[in-house]
Amino acid sequence: MSRGYRIQLPDPLPRAGDDPMSLAYRITVKESATRRLTAEDEICSRLELLEILPPEDMANLLREELKNRGFEEQPDGTLLRHGETVSVRINPQSGEVTVSAAIEKTVSQQAERITTGFDDVGPTPRKLRQQIQKELQADLEKKFEQEQQHLQSQAAQVLEQHLHELQPEISEIVNKVTREALKQKAHQMGTVKEISEDPQSGSLTITVEV
Amino acid sequence: MNPFEGKLLRILRFFLGYHPAEDGLRLLRESNPRPLCLSVHGVECVKDTLAKGIIQFLVRVGGWRRERYLVGGRPVQGRLWERASLEELRLSFSPVVLDFLMEVTAQDLRARRILLRWDSEQLRLTPADELFFWLTFRAVRRDPNIVSRFRSLMAFRANRYCWISFPTDIAQGEPNPPDFSPLFTGQRALILECLQRPLERLWRQSEENKQYIRDWEQMRIRGRAEFAALNRYLQAAEQAKRFDLGRFVLRVNAGLFSKHREDLSFWTGGLNAENSINKPGRLSEQLEVQRQALAFPRLMETLERWQTWARGVGYVDDDYAISQLWKSDWEQVNGDVVAARARDAIAMLDPLRRPTWDQGNDGDETN
Repeated sequence: MSRGYRIQLPDPLPRAGDDPMSLAYRITVKESATRRLTAEDEICSRLELLEILPPEDMANLLREELKNRGFEEQPDGTLLRHGETVSVRINPQSGEVTVSAAIEKTVSQQAERITTGFDDVGPTPRKLRQQIQKELQADLEKKFEQEQQHLQSQAAQVLEQHLHELQPEISEIVNKVTREALKQKAHQMGTVKEISEDPQSGSLTITVEV
Repeated sequence: MNPFEGKLLRILRFFLGYHPAEDGLRLLRESNPRPLCLSVHGVECVKDTLAKGIIQFLVRVGGWRRERYLVGGRPVQGRLWERASLEELRLSFSPVVLDFLMEVTAQDLRARRILLRWDSEQLRLTPADELFFWLTFRAVRRDPNIVSRFRSLMAFRANRYCWISFPTDIAQGEPNPPDFSPLFTGQRALILECLQRPLERLWRQSEENKQYIRDWEQMRIRGRAEFAALNRYLQAAEQAKRFDLGRFVLRVNAGLFSKHREDLSFWTGGLNAENSINKPGRLSEQLEVQRQALAFPRLMETLERWQTWARGVGYVDDDYAISQLWKSDWEQVNGDVVAARARDAIAMLDPLRRPTWDQGNDGDETN
């Protein structure tokens, strides 16, 4: 037995009173920024100088030795040696050593986003653009933070490397100042008969007639 | 005995160290309706278990040893019951212990915060109560959920024995150790004498575990809490002139420095591994965390100062006997060598300083 059925097709033309079709639009937002990032690191230590002579005399010996090695005296009495990224400051009175590293870098970051909106639902194009701009700025901020962390790690590595190179020099300085102090002390005690130094073993022998 | 009382006794035995830990922790995660009170028989069982369990613990861990401790400012050698009178050794527990046991038996400790009406800043516990709560904390340490529940209670947070044993677990945020001076008088001091060996073992294990810590932030928190607690403890011991009760700190350091340390990997090996986490960006902060890791060696500075003091005490001075006992402890572990090695280890943290240890003495071993 045959069956009947009806098919209803949508009207091809909009009737009066119906809503118009929504329009989609595409927004492209770009943000970029350039910043100068700085990373610093610093450690403090102290020279171990024996008090062979009075503190003032020991400080003077240390001051002279440091000047011979390129340190410059500062108004506050400390001695400073500046490198490209690392500086060393020594206080001859207290023996305090401060080693600082500072690295600067200009970093440019960009971010772009393409998004689609509809004019009948969701935010207006202006608000959508503002929202995306905020998100992009937050993204840029994160990228700068990551760069800052990376730069900080670099500063720490530079400082560590410089400390590794500085340690033998510091030992030499302490050694030399101690020798000079011993010689001066020997002269104060009596007549110095003989001073012999062995550069290989680092020994110092002073014969004093008291 | 009803099932609740049976469970309570098993939990008590777990706290005292006589019941398997797995089952004990399982029981603490179950909840049961709390009865109004225990039966007479149940109370008697609890009292009996507490009394025998605590005494047995104290005797087993150190009370049986013939050791020298200060009594009235003079060193006395003997077992615990030979150094102190029966009256001094009589332990008394307050009702809070039973109430605490009933509460932890009734509650699932993972689910709810423990609320005890007597737990406040004004809480005053007997020495035996404090020892009980120390044993309890020691038993549950492997379960971080239960530890965090207990940590919120003053019975643990203000417990001095807990602070000198597990400061990292007890401290919340900035470490603020309590005043340790009450530990050096009366029954508390006698308990502390027995705890010297367990404390030594605890801290040796704690130091050995540091090399596996890969989290810089965790190490920083741990080192700060440890140094804050033990430094304050040693200050109180010095004030009370009970240098003998700092013996466990000296022995731990003697074990740590039984040989010269070429580097600091024993403490910071995990931090310097490639997969370490939360590493500070600044070298200065990295050095500070490593310095915190060496909390125990840093305590040798205080013990060295005690030794300098002891060497200066004359035969006719009041504290001569006290100084002699400390000097004896120091010499027994070759304290001068230990102190020099500890100083060298700490000096390794300073990149501009070299060790002062004489290379010719590398073969020396301490006890």
